Amino acid sequence: MTNPRRDYEDRLIETALREKFGGARPPDLSERVLAALAGNDVKPAAAAKERRFTLRAVALIAVSACLLLAVALGSWELSPEQVVHEERAVGDVAINWAGSHQALPPNYRTSLEVELAALTRHAAAVDAERRRRSESPQLLVTPRIAHIAEAEAQSAYQVPVEENAAARYDAHVSERYAETDLPQVQAVVSQAALADQAKFDALGKAYKSERPQFNAERAEMLRHKILNLRQDRGQGPGEGGDQYARIVENPFLRTLESPLSTFSIDVDTASYAKVRMYLLQQGMLPPPDAVRIEELVNYFDYDYDGPEDEHPFAAHLEAAECPWNPTHRLVRIALKGREIEKERPGSNLVFLLDVSGSMDQPNKLPLVKAGMKMLVRQLSENDRVAIVVYAGAAGLVLSSTPGSEQATILEAIDRLHAGGSTNGGEGIRLAYQTALDHFLEGGVNRVILCTDGDFNVGVTSTGELTRLAEEQAKAGVFLSVLGFGMGNHNDAMLEELSGKANGNYAFIDTESEARKVLVEQMAGTLVTIAKDVKIQVEFNPAEVAAYRLLGYENRILAAEDFNDDKKDAGEIGAGHTVTALYEIVPAKASGGREPPDDAALPASPAVDDLKYQSERKLTKNADSGELLTLKLRYKKPDADTSTLMTRPLADAGGRFSAASRDFQFAAAVAAFGMILRGSQHHGTATLDVVEEIAASAKEPDRFGYRAEFLELVKAARRLRGG
Amino acid sequence: MSTATIEARLTPAELVRHHQAAVWRYLRYLGCDAAQADDVTQETFLAVLEKPFEQRSEAATAAYLRTVARNRFLALLRREKNGPTAADVAIAEEVWSQAAGAGEDEYLDSLDDCLMELTGRARRAIELRYRDDRSRREIAAELEMTEDGVKTLLRRTRDALRRCVERRVGA
Repeated sequence: MTNPRRDYEDRLIETALREKFGGARPPDLSERVLAALAGNDVKPAAAAKERRFTLRAVALIAVSACLLLAVALGSWELSPEQVVHEERAVGDVAINWAGSHQALPPNYRTSLEVELAALTRHAAAVDAERRRRSESPQLLVTPRIAHIAEAEAQSAYQVPVEENAAARYDAHVSERYAETDLPQVQAVVSQAALADQAKFDALGKAYKSERPQFNAERAEMLRHKILNLRQDRGQGPGEGGDQYARIVENPFLRTLESPLSTFSIDVDTASYAKVRMYLLQQGMLPPPDAVRIEELVNYFDYDYDGPEDEHPFAAHLEAAECPWNPTHRLVRIALKGREIEKERPGSNLVFLLDVSGSMDQPNKLPLVKAGMKMLVRQLSENDRVAIVVYAGAAGLVLSSTPGSEQATILEAIDRLHAGGSTNGGEGIRLAYQTALDHFLEGGVNRVILCTDGDFNVGVTSTGELTRLAEEQAKAGVFLSVLGFGMGNHNDAMLEELSGKANGNYAFIDTESEARKVLVEQMAGTLVTIAKDVKIQVEFNPAEVAAYRLLGYENRILAAEDFNDDKKDAGEIGAGHTVTALYEIVPAKASGGREPPDDAALPASPAVDDLKYQSERKLTKNADSGELLTLKLRYKKPDADTSTLMTRPLADAGGRFSAASRDFQFAAAVAAFGMILRGSQHHGTATLDVVEEIAASAKEPDRFGYRAEFLELVKAARRLRGG
Repeated sequence: MSTATIEARLTPAELVRHHQAAVWRYLRYLGCDAAQADDVTQETFLAVLEKPFEQRSEAATAAYLRTVARNRFLALLRREKNGPTAADVAIAEEVWSQAAGAGEDEYLDSLDDCLMELTGRARRAIELRYRDDRSRREIAAELEMTEDGVKTLLRRTRDALRRCVERRVGA
């Protein structure tokens, strides 16, 4: 398989070599471009206004451009009615373009046909123009038309032209090209052709609104094609591009065959921030493997009650109708870590900063520095901060300094600048050494790694680094990973690294995200109240035919790992909430609905009966009416043995609308994740449903995160061309 | 970054003069031949100057010009079945902006320095290929290597140069 990134890297150096050695210097096109500009009376760009497309204006320009051309040629006879018709048709397209399909008039198809006919005539007009120009070659520049083409190119990710029209158009353009050899004529034809293409695309969009079925399918197909393309970017170490580990969704499992579901908790939120960056900043749908449903759900604050007993966190269970499959039930496991009542324990922090050349972008090092400053301002004399940088060589730029010496620390942060390549291996050793040298008994000892991606020089197998981090976690120094920027982000490695090192992994794309992670959740990010937290759920086959865990794919544990204290798992910080959702296929009728019959079970086909063993017998507890029993194991931060908590759940058969707001909101977020992942289990969930549920369950929204989620849903809908 | 600090807001003429070489170079890098690059460079500036836009910084303007050029390039190639896709071109932009984001002049100057470090057969092969525009077969004959050997040597040398330039640009 070829690697386009490497090809382009190679081509870049080749282009440079051709220029250096071969004299392939860029020609001076200034005069030519300026002459072309002058010929078209383009206004200077001095009145700097934010560059935004006004669709209607474009459509009108398109009309006037066509009409002008037609008039100039005198070969296009239009009756006044046709002009009106024409104008309306294009106006409609513009409305449609803006996304409001309802605005289409009932006789739309007629105007569409007029449009198509006009386009064909337009093509003939272009041909005539071409012939005329070829007699007296002279550069005709039509920047206004060109501008439409620009719009069209910018919408390249959206649903393209209706198929037949596209094929016809292609045939016709290539024909025209075939007989054209003068470059000036080509320029004319290509610009006129681009305008054609823009109109065809607009028509394609109009078709879409008329034939939703056809277009839903086509849009889906295209979406997958594009997503597949994106997936091909950066798949393994050293490959470059953003790297995500493939996620294979959890299937439905039959309770009789697999009564136990075991996984490690995960309080990471990086996936949500990445999805947001794709949707809002990059304007594209995220690759499916960048979407970790549990991290989306856990990004939000939920108002769960804290513990009132001796345990460091509380566990709550709730069940309701599954919003994307009304015959199924949705079960939520909700954990809430104890808030720290008294003073935060002292912290011994070592920032490990990637200052390689690639960090020199506005959304990387400057954001790291801003985030660090926010955090440092929260510190007191009980805390210590050190800064280790790594690039070509690793170095200690700030030896461990008390938090009260703010000026010294802030000054050191200001001095940081990017340059060099990365030697993460050396840096991480130095950082851990610094943390150990100033180890705070009973306090927080943590290395905070800020990077944009890969550790790409030196001793850096992922395995080796992870082992190092794992060892250090046992010695009491935990790791937080903060990811920045896009381009060569090794998501898979960073997640594994933080997971093994009793850490957390967040992705920081904006200053407000930096504030959320480093200030609002500082206690949680820094102060671990329980580690190696594992969840095991035993389902009752009398009540549950099959179940499916939403997300946590890379956190699944074997059933026997649950009681094995040597197997590590996720940590939970002070005040953190953790949410997990199961979709359940009931074994019995509930809420007046019949259970699905066995053939309709979404689970994989049943295996044959065993030859040498008979099936397990139900215990008398199976009649209790309980759906499941939740078992939790955790260790205190400094303990080596785990403590067990258990909670049973009986389903009262409540409807979704009667569920708590947090339950509803989490369900909407999970459904959103399934849609973005292209999950086969998303049932009846659509972005509209997600928006409706999330909007109704939005309050309370102290920091505006839920409102922002609604923005993401809207952006996703736009990008899917919905 | 070009060494001179440019007043952020340029007149159209200044804008064209200042950025046209880079746009052309970029289009060549994307895969245009020289004539296509000439035409698309012109189209790019016409499209950009058609509407007012905010010139926030030189780098932002350069990036915007690249985006328009890229879209033009894609539109030009849309008919070709095996042409690069939007995803390919997005990767091309990533590579460009990471490597040459600091400015093409710096990139080229660093390449000069790195070329000084080349010796022996690698240097000879690069000179033959890019200065004298010799075919792979001619180079193979001159250096008494197989054609595949020349291909590998050139690719490795370009790789080493690329890493060297990256180090220098980053430093």
